[in-house]
Amino acid sequence: MFAFHNQRWMLDALKQYISRYVALSNEEFAFLADKLVIRNFDKKQQLVRVGEVETYLNFIVKGLARKYFYKDKTEVITQIAREGEIISSSVSFLSGTASPYIVEALEPATVFSISRRQLEKLYESSNRIERVGRMVITHLLLQKEEWEHECIRMDTRERFLHFVQNNPDLLQRVPQKYLASYLNMKPETFSRLKRMPRARQKESK
Amino acid sequence: MTKKKSPYQAALDELYKYLSGFVPLSRPEFSLLLPYIEIREFEKKVKVIREGEVERYLNIIARGLVRKYLPIRDKEVIIQLATEGHIVHSELSFHYRTPSGSVVETIEPTVFLSISYDSLQQLYDKFPKAERLGRLIISDLFIKKDLRYFDQLRKSTRERFLEYIRSHPHVLQRVPQKYIASYLNIKPETFSRLKHLVRLK
Repeated sequence: MFAFHNQRWMLDALKQYISRYVALSNEEFAFLADKLVIRNFDKKQQLVRVGEVETYLNFIVKGLARKYFYKDKTEVITQIAREGEIISSSVSFLSGTASPYIVEALEPATVFSISRRQLEKLYESSNRIERVGRMVITHLLLQKEEWEHECIRMDTRERFLHFVQNNPDLLQRVPQKYLASYLNMKPETFSRLKRMPRARQKESK
Repeated sequence: MTKKKSPYQAALDELYKYLSGFVPLSRPEFSLLLPYIEIREFEKKVKVIREGEVERYLNIIARGLVRKYLPIRDKEVIIQLATEGHIVHSELSFHYRTPSGSVVETIEPTVFLSISYDSLQQLYDKFPKAERLGRLIISDLFIKKDLRYFDQLRKSTRERFLEYIRSHPHVLQRVPQKYIASYLNIKPETFSRLKHLVRLK
């Protein structure tokens, strides 16, 4: 029996996420939920450090986290994840190699985590849960492909506008220098674009 | 007595080896998959999938060389150079069933082992093992893509050039220089300068 039965809404969030891929029965979902651990992090606390092997795949139920690495002394952010999204040092998790990334909470965060061992067990025992796994990893792969296309197709301004239109919430919650790093632009460029009135942002496209 | 072998036997043997690298697969199990696989042949410089078409296939290259690129205004930006044993297709279009934004084009005459979108769904429904195979193959693609992006962000032009040449020595012989430069996101001038540097060693 899971220790967080009184936090039904958290499980509902996860169930909703999974239902985008496969409609699991209540029994199947309970079987999966039973393998999860719930973890809480303070702001700026790290979920995984450079050189560690990532043990967990994390689903954010509350809060915000970022994934980054150091290029010389500079932080380079490659992911910012919010409620309802998955974050983890994924290559390390999948391949068992040391993580070159840090995953860190940007706000106090609550995540559902599953260890690789438990996940393997789930896959062994349920073909439908394995299908969830296949579809989640496919989705993550396609997100990367889309990101690559956007980086090639769009110039800096277009990328800024595209991001802001799709993620107005992150503009409120995330320090600008982090967003700039994620979008691979200088912080000055980011704030200049942000100060531009909407109408001019569009017409200058 | 010798059994007459299909001209594609070697390619199918390679496929068997490739798949059983992910999951234990018996020969009889493998032969159950074969009816779902199509063999497709293309001359060089053929667009296998054009911009705006919906990608029907996932292809594994049995023989040949292929590039995938994004046509951007007056140029083409290469995002994949694929050779024997690699998977290449317009994946966003294939999975989302939307018009392709990328073009897949052969560089050399090429033979694909292809599976259509519909066949793949049938395969997943009929063979429980296909689920694991699919999950592991896609995880592998995910890892490769992530590492390439990480290298692009982290490494200098020179490092990326040297590493690519070191890990793909044969590609330099087979692929026009400008394609490799585009794939590595290096200016053609810089590329020839770096290439010169390698020769002198």
